[in-house]
Amino acid sequence: MHLLRIKFMIIELRKFGTTLISRQTGKEAFLAFQPALEKVKKDELVEVDFDGVLTFSPSWGDEFLTPLLERYGEKLILKRSENPSVNATIEILEESLGKKFNVE
Amino acid sequence: MKKRKLIPIGEAAKLLGVTITTLRRWDESGRMTPVRKSPKGNRYYHWGDIEFLTSELSKMARGWAVSKKSFPEEYYCRFSDIFQARLIQLETLLAREDSTKNIFSLIISIVGEIGNNSFDHNLGQWPDTPGIFFGYDLVKKQIVLADQGLGILETLKRVRPSLKSHDSAVKVAFTEILSGRAPESRGNGLKYVRKVVAGSNINLFFQSGNAKLWLYGGSSELAIKKSRDNVKGCLAFITY
Repeated sequence: MHLLRIKFMIIELRKFGTTLISRQTGKEAFLAFQPALEKVKKDELVEVDFDGVLTFSPSWGDEFLTPLLERYGEKLILKRSENPSVNATIEILEESLGKKFNVE
Repeated sequence: MKKRKLIPIGEAAKLLGVTITTLRRWDESGRMTPVRKSPKGNRYYHWGDIEFLTSELSKMARGWAVSKKSFPEEYYCRFSDIFQARLIQLETLLAREDSTKNIFSLIISIVGEIGNNSFDHNLGQWPDTPGIFFGYDLVKKQIVLADQGLGILETLKRVRPSLKSHDSAVKVAFTEILSGRAPESRGNGLKYVRKVVAGSNINLFFQSGNAKLWLYGGSSELAIKKSRDNVKGCLAFITY
């Protein structure tokens, strides 16, 4: 029997901090993560985990999530979060980009 | 005191320490506009407006933003890093409080968007004193931010030169996706603030130039009016 194996690159946002609000730190986080992103293989999914994040904002999200969405499209998965600032940020980014994130 | 949304004119006058006649005059001059349940009905006042006019923090911030009056050093964030550090302190305090533990992330994210806008849009071009006023009162549940930066109109004119007045610029900032940091195509901070306020019990008073705006919790309706005084950059008063 063959099992379908889907590989994931998991990005744990808490490793960048628990208060992710400024454009500047979002941009720095995205640049710092480039070497890790280069290891993502063509068929791999990229999952963003918000667990442990206390506050999230559109400025930080726009600098980090928007370029990930542009690069990976449907292969980018945002892990569902209970945090109201995460959910409100995802909604406003979707409105401003005119695109939907894959939230699971 | 339990917070009610609308206060009758007599009670509003007592809270503000003025007469009912003064409040009627303020209504005619546009200084403080009441709500009427019918065209000739009684005047009621939003609790948020009363809080704004009686808040010591807002008086200090307004004094600085309008007429450069000095204020205690503890409220001054010269650099963005100082603001971030003080915002994280506020986050810790709000997360501990029973009344805010479920909404602290929304409060901190909107305060972060407003404060960071001041730094991002004025970076390298502060026309006056750099940095922001940032104060909060956990007992009265008030947060105040102010800057002496370029203001919304000057910032947005870079990408939309047709904008002529502060009130039209403030309306665009809160309703349209448009960035003042060209060539960036993004600009969603104040739209986010409006969205969060509409879905919560948070209230916002905002002024830039002579345009003042109110957003009341639970409603996405914008009330924009012209003010007699002029805020050099931006002033925000948040209650929750």
